Amino acid sequence: MVQATLSLHNPESPAKSISPLRELGAYELLWAQRGASFKNIAERFAAAPELLPSDLVDEKEAREVADEVLAILTKKGVKKFGVRIHGAGEYPGKLREAMHPVELLYYRGIWELVETPCVAIVGTRRPSDGGVEDARALTAFLVKEKWTIVSGLADGIDTAAHTTAIQQEGKTIAVIGTPICDAYPSANTELQEKIAREFLLVSQVPVKRYYMQDWKLNRFFFPARNVTMSALTDATIIVEAGNTSGTLVQARAALHQGRKLFILDRCFRNPDLTWPHSYLQRGAIRVRDFSQITDTLKSAQAK
Amino acid sequence: MLKLSKVDGLHLPDHYYLTPSDNCLFLREYVPGVGFSGGETNNLISNFKKGLDRKGRPEWRYKAVAIKQIAQELAKALNTEWVSMATLVPIPPSKTKHNQLYDDRMTQVLHQIPTLQGVNGDVRELIVQTADMPAAHTSDTRPSPDEMRAHYIIDNASADPAPRVVGLFDDLLTTGAHFRAAADLVIERFSGITIIGIFVARRIIPEIEIEWGPES
Repeated sequence: MVQATLSLHNPESPAKSISPLRELGAYELLWAQRGASFKNIAERFAAAPELLPSDLVDEKEAREVADEVLAILTKKGVKKFGVRIHGAGEYPGKLREAMHPVELLYYRGIWELVETPCVAIVGTRRPSDGGVEDARALTAFLVKEKWTIVSGLADGIDTAAHTTAIQQEGKTIAVIGTPICDAYPSANTELQEKIAREFLLVSQVPVKRYYMQDWKLNRFFFPARNVTMSALTDATIIVEAGNTSGTLVQARAALHQGRKLFILDRCFRNPDLTWPHSYLQRGAIRVRDFSQITDTLKSAQAK
Repeated sequence: MLKLSKVDGLHLPDHYYLTPSDNCLFLREYVPGVGFSGGETNNLISNFKKGLDRKGRPEWRYKAVAIKQIAQELAKALNTEWVSMATLVPIPPSKTKHNQLYDDRMTQVLHQIPTLQGVNGDVRELIVQTADMPAAHTSDTRPSPDEMRAHYIIDNASADPAPRVVGLFDDLLTTGAHFRAAADLVIERFSGITIIGIFVARRIIPEIEIEWGPES
């Protein structure tokens, strides 16, 4: 009897293991389905936390989609990349604090950077000269304090944060709103490549889906990545942003996830802006001196 | 709980001596030598590998902590049915049993796995290394499977009864040379055997040399 029981078990299968390529294909296939969103995909996994993407789709179809995605990435010049999968090693637990956590994301570079103390510096794509100056000074200050600077590789404040971090010999992570193989704006292609090779580039954007649809739908991937950026960091600092800026998605996410939210004083001094005061009431911190940020974070770490 | 991941086509190029038909699983992955961050996996592996020459120093206790953590992670990740039917075999460490620096860390882990699962386990040091090798993680020269193989023999005292399913365990999957040498040796001796490589971590080859290097 014992023999019969044992023979039921496949000797080649010591565990329910995760094949990264299979899960990549399955996850991309889930995303290629009509109506897929971060919200409804996250809800399927929230209902059954032990599930893997491959449990939800046809294996053969998933394999075809994986091949398709690999072909796209290769064609676009991505020679090497990795994935992080919920349940596998190195998937960051802090991502689960996002409202609709992703089951899989793509990266290039040194993944371990997400384990360093990280802050996000974000803001408008069309900053004032003073805003850019603040972003640079703030980044230089935080690099000196050994923080890794996380941003979204967009024009304006994001670009100032990444480039200053690199110039100051600090560390930087870009969490982008395009697939791992595409840069937006295209002027940042070189910067993205440098970050991917020497630091860390993260994208949660499904590759196949992105190229199936046009920019009108793809633009929603940008605010969605701000939620992940916040989840990966200890705090978000807003340098400058308008009343309708996508940056405010990250402000909301930071507070929802229990992260610190800092808003530079210049935002409060602009009489046209209503959001800074509203976030202040909800727990954000008005920053008149950069040392307020590090003091607050240090005392939070000590707790 | 961490699930084991499979070395599939995505990662195969990082492990020169593995082939698509090899069945290799790992818990974690990292870029070794990036000491800047003290990443969790980096720390776990370096504590686990801590040389016996550090015995007695305050840092030594972290080795026992790492052994326990790895045993617990593997015990949770592996099916009890598989552990009950398989023979758990450590890939030999860099030094022979006669060397005072001989480190049986993986054997200690393997003995803990069935105990933690509450099943009977078959743990054997089936492969014996006949000469000291430089520790792979501290050496620039990586031995080929043939060079490794020349120093591996099957321990006849441990060969009976013949195993049917062998889990070959090692801490770090790099080129795959140690696994290749050990697996080929076992297959040659026990025909029809099933072999699975199980690693605590695999190392990722970065796209470029890390220039800003370790700070510690």
